[in-house]
Amino acid sequence: MAMGKDGKERNLILAIDTSAGTTAAVFDGETMASFISYEDRFGHAENIGFAIKRALDEAGIRAADLTMVAVGRGPAPYTGLRVGIAAGVSLAVALGIPAVGVITLIAVARKHPQGKVLVVADAKRKEIFVAGFDAGQQVIPPSVSTSEQLVDFADFQQVDGTCDASLIGHYTTWALAAGMDLSDTSALYLRSPDVSPSKGKRVSG
Amino acid sequence: MEIKKLSQHDLVAVMEIEADLFGAEAWLETSMKSEINGDFTHYFGVFQEGLVGYAGLSSVPNTFVSDIQTIAIAKSHQAQGLGRALAESLVAKARALGSEAVFLEVRADNEPAIALYEKLGFTQIDIRKKYYQPSGVDALVMRLEVHQPIVLGVESSCDETGIGIVKGNRLLANALHSSMDEHAKFGGVVPEVAARAHLEAMQPTIERALKEAQLSMTDIDAIAVANGPGLAGALMVGIGAAKALAIANDKPIYAVNHLVGHVGADVLESGSVTLPTIALLVSGGHTSLLLVRDLLDDVELLGETIDDAAGEAFDKVARVLGLPYPGGPEIDKLAETGDPKAIRFPRGLSLPKDMVKHRFDFSFSGLKTAVARHVEKAEDQQLPLSKPDVAASFREAAVDVLLTKAINACERYEVKRLLLGGGVVANARLRQQAKLRCEVAGIDLRIPRFSLCTDNGAMIASLGAQLVMAGREPSSLGFGAESTLEVTKVQSH
Repeated sequence: MAMGKDGKERNLILAIDTSAGTTAAVFDGETMASFISYEDRFGHAENIGFAIKRALDEAGIRAADLTMVAVGRGPAPYTGLRVGIAAGVSLAVALGIPAVGVITLIAVARKHPQGKVLVVADAKRKEIFVAGFDAGQQVIPPSVSTSEQLVDFADFQQVDGTCDASLIGHYTTWALAAGMDLSDTSALYLRSPDVSPSKGKRVSG
Repeated sequence: MEIKKLSQHDLVAVMEIEADLFGAEAWLETSMKSEINGDFTHYFGVFQEGLVGYAGLSSVPNTFVSDIQTIAIAKSHQAQGLGRALAESLVAKARALGSEAVFLEVRADNEPAIALYEKLGFTQIDIRKKYYQPSGVDALVMRLEVHQPIVLGVESSCDETGIGIVKGNRLLANALHSSMDEHAKFGGVVPEVAARAHLEAMQPTIERALKEAQLSMTDIDAIAVANGPGLAGALMVGIGAAKALAIANDKPIYAVNHLVGHVGADVLESGSVTLPTIALLVSGGHTSLLLVRDLLDDVELLGETIDDAAGEAFDKVARVLGLPYPGGPEIDKLAETGDPKAIRFPRGLSLPKDMVKHRFDFSFSGLKTAVARHVEKAEDQQLPLSKPDVAASFREAAVDVLLTKAINACERYEVKRLLLGGGVVANARLRQQAKLRCEVAGIDLRIPRFSLCTDNGAMIASLGAQLVMAGREPSSLGFGAESTLEVTKVQSH
């Protein structure tokens, strides 16, 4: 634990999310001390270093002061998502601190504690990721769907599932206080790699 | 004042000063000549309208130490700081050679010299009684510690997650996780499968490398990462990890070229940079012929494959023969009992007309098709088919064209050194033929151990260390993955 100026222990969490753009935030306990966002949805590898560095700088701390790293696990387009997880996990290894993971659709649902909501996020390839909640309780687990299938969820209010590091950080502090296990930092893959074994073709006619 | 490397032409001037200064204890001219011309010695002269002093260093590769052999200043030019300038040149040279310590012996009665060495940071570690003869004066043995940069390298361009750690030219750790088995059922590397495997392997591989080197992250001076060429989604995992490792302890980061990294592997094998060289890099993703005059500033692409990589051809031919992935080892095994001359398969881009535009390029797609036709024809007409003969003849054609072009490049560019790199170097026939043909052509053949030939993190760390040792600026935090990065771009900023 890092010590504050008053000598009290501080929980300094770096939250990272690359499920949409590239975002990073520092949480001092439950308070967000900084938030950095790069909106480019194809620039994760380029922006991840700047996002982390600036989030630390704006919070006025050094990486070595951190006590935990929290990463968004998706579901989200995997190429960008992996950049944030790889960075978060590696930062935690380098500092010898724990890393935790948060499913992005669940982090977004925290903003909507009332009624029945369907959190919807872009999955590319004309597909969407969805998860359903009723009064904050998950009733439909994160899954792959299409916009045509949304009629099946007519009694749910649809909400934008775009996530960022501030939502990941807020969810982390809340969930850990509630005693939840966030130790899984793996990417949440809802699709298999898009490939089938090749049979080999004849070359002569 | 000018300090420059001595050549044989300076020998007479050197011997004049040597005799004047040391009289009966002076070195013989023959000894001095072999010192100046030696492979592992480095002599410098200080010139002021002619030679007025000289100094020499000896450094045997892979020992990681240098010895100062002599520093001599003509009587007429002493006490002007020339000795110090030469000593500093030698220490700088030792540092550039990757030495971790510099040793010297000095006469116990030479107080000005001892004071100079102490100023440069040397400390006395021993005394040799009556070392100088015939005078019988003692020698003090002094040592200077030289810190070589400890660099952690991250490799994730294809299906190997590699974390390597080097100290200057010295290999400390080379941890690897391969996802090859996961690609086997698809018959080739699947980018998404590779990228997923990198993410899972990253943390345990970092931890294994640190443990192997017996270091912690705070001991690391710099991070290096391959940012291309390779599979973009795979490269990005390594880049994300590497940037975070750099930020964690506020260390510089160097984005380096994966292909040039293969040449950096040789530095770890031999403990020194040995250039110029022709480099033949053959793997499942690349078939490239490089001319490397300088590891950091002068890498030229002489040629590359215009279709399939050589390793890919092995995989495809293996599939035609009903063998599993990866095809290289399987074909190697089958070929052992086959006749390499049984079938004359084509050598791609080897006709006289190809020499204009494609002299050093490769093509394996025609070879693969020829093998498939041969097999299909035999099956269709129910002719006898010797798979060992097909495997041996295919392997012979592939190896022949690779080595013919590589050796031609050595001759064309008058570089009598050939370095092999990449996973296809595991091929027994390639290694065997390379040895044979290089011996005949008088070419110095270099093949790093296999764990340094395949994709690995140590070679990336090695290239990063060369950049640090040369005082290059680190890359910014903003570089991305460049799947088609050109070999001329050794470092991305």
